[in-house]
Amino acid sequence: MSISIKGLNKHFGRYHALRDVDLAIPDGELVALLGPSGGGKTTLLRTIAGLESPDSGQILFEGRDAALQRPQERGVGFVFQHYALFRHMTVFENIAFGLRVKPKHERPSEEEIQSKVGELLKLIQLDWISDRYPDQLSGGQRQRVALARALAPKPRFLLLDEPFGALDTKVRKELRRWLRELHDELGMTSLFVTHDQDEALELADRVVVMMEGRVAQVGTPDEVYDRPATPEVFQFLGNVNLFHGRVAEGGFLHHAQATTGTDAALAFVRPHELEVERFASSDSSVPAVLTHAYALGPKVRLELRRKDNGSPMEAELTRDRYRNLGLVAGDSLWVTPTNLRVFCSDEDVVI
Amino acid sequence: MISKKREDPAWLRRLLLGLGIGWIVVLVVAPIVSVFAGALSRGGSAFFAALVHPDTLSALRLTLLAALCAVPLNTVFGLAAAWLLSRFQFRGRNLLATLIDLPFSVSPVVAGLLLVLVWGQQGWWGPWLSRHGVHVVFAWPAVVLATVFVTFPLVVRELLPVLQEQGSSEEEAAILLGANGWTMFWRVTLPNIKWALLYGVVLSATRAIGEFGAVSVVSGHVRGETNTLPLHVEILYNEYRFQAAFAAATLLVLLSVVAVSIKGILERRAHR
Repeated sequence: MSISIKGLNKHFGRYHALRDVDLAIPDGELVALLGPSGGGKTTLLRTIAGLESPDSGQILFEGRDAALQRPQERGVGFVFQHYALFRHMTVFENIAFGLRVKPKHERPSEEEIQSKVGELLKLIQLDWISDRYPDQLSGGQRQRVALARALAPKPRFLLLDEPFGALDTKVRKELRRWLRELHDELGMTSLFVTHDQDEALELADRVVVMMEGRVAQVGTPDEVYDRPATPEVFQFLGNVNLFHGRVAEGGFLHHAQATTGTDAALAFVRPHELEVERFASSDSSVPAVLTHAYALGPKVRLELRRKDNGSPMEAELTRDRYRNLGLVAGDSLWVTPTNLRVFCSDEDVVI
Repeated sequence: MISKKREDPAWLRRLLLGLGIGWIVVLVVAPIVSVFAGALSRGGSAFFAALVHPDTLSALRLTLLAALCAVPLNTVFGLAAAWLLSRFQFRGRNLLATLIDLPFSVSPVVAGLLLVLVWGQQGWWGPWLSRHGVHVVFAWPAVVLATVFVTFPLVVRELLPVLQEQGSSEEEAAILLGANGWTMFWRVTLPNIKWALLYGVVLSATRAIGEFGAVSVVSGHVRGETNTLPLHVEILYNEYRFQAAFAAATLLVLLSVVAVSIKGILERRAHR
């Protein structure tokens, strides 16, 4: 089931929540809507489901205009951020709800409902607590019940709003892997909202970065991480070091003064793409002082301060490299970027 | 946190307990006992004679009629209004919320006068109605209208906080699972608010049965026709027929006891 979105706009009062959103979601993909809170991700998800109606623009399901379908008819499975389980129903009845409310001629018989819900309970490995109520479940269990409930009426696509937001790290990891397997097994188009870049990059076939109501970038996790479309996307996706400089003749000049024929530019470098040495190794090397170092699992993170302009930088080394260099706080070092992403701008950028 | 249970001296506990009980006896128990004592002051047969007097029975009928009209109307409109206020943002929402509270803040006597001004012989549509043979003021329809007006906010005010606290995500989930609006209401919304709704219904029933001020203005006090029980009691009392007044009053007390018991049962079940 493919979804195609054209020129979607949505206002809440004066607040412009979605701005000219264009998006194509191919059949069978697992897509992440990633971005900072307030970026319009949840609004987009709710609009696709039919819980909000757009001010302008179109949503097409397999080429058919969704505006002609009521939310009930869209074949959407929706998992709410706080699960929204029916609090007065047992786990079993929650999952059975979507089957029981089908119109009479489509409704399965009681035995079919029993076996279908039984299957789903086994799938989420909660068949042993089918008669409990939602407030007797843990967060991870509620999440799985919400997913099973959404899957029961066989939706054509699955929408998940911050599906792992309220869970602890370990449960979150397990559920992530489980959701990925489930998606591959069932083969339906799935779209989930997250503000966690690791989650999006790890789980999704395709990442849609949303900022301030706009789609900032669409791509595979690698594309989005390695070639961010804008400085904002770059900064949102992980730690980053910022270099001010100028661009001339296709190269980035770190130390150049403003001269004719050059444009002010910003360069971004990820912490693991900074080479740290005792001596300058190239023209682009920058002198810095080590202020603090700490181990982060297999890596060591260095906090540095540039000698020329005093701005802070972060670098990441392997433990071996750190030990070989024999670094101590206060050491004078040279830092060389091995990989730069340069964004030109006509105006001076003030950070 | 103080984990050790603090014990007050025995004399203090007895004193406070005694004060509490004494207060309730003076304010609540004694008057109720006196109602029954007054009603039975001329013996059981006089008591029953007053109860089955045609005027008393007619007053009881009208009181129950007013309550039976007001309660279902308030239930339906209260549900609709609470739903509207809790689920939708629209222009004039605050104004509507204030208007719904108006019957609470207006004195019942003023409410009665308003009804006379609108429905009476000199009112807006009173003349047109009476030309077509419909008499509202000083007849039973005005009694019903006054009762509905005075009890209107009770159901809304019970439901609104519950609906607001629960939010709409369960309802949205039901819709996306394929339920239509009606199914959603019966299977998701109503089960979550049923105790608050029943509580509001009991409150508006007791208020409807006991209403005096607004009804007094519009009823016209026609004995055996437009008197409700509270009005009947007052008339008898003003005529110095104390025993009959007390006998009629016992009916009101009994209705209250029934309502309070239902309310108690509901509260216990809701908090379980």
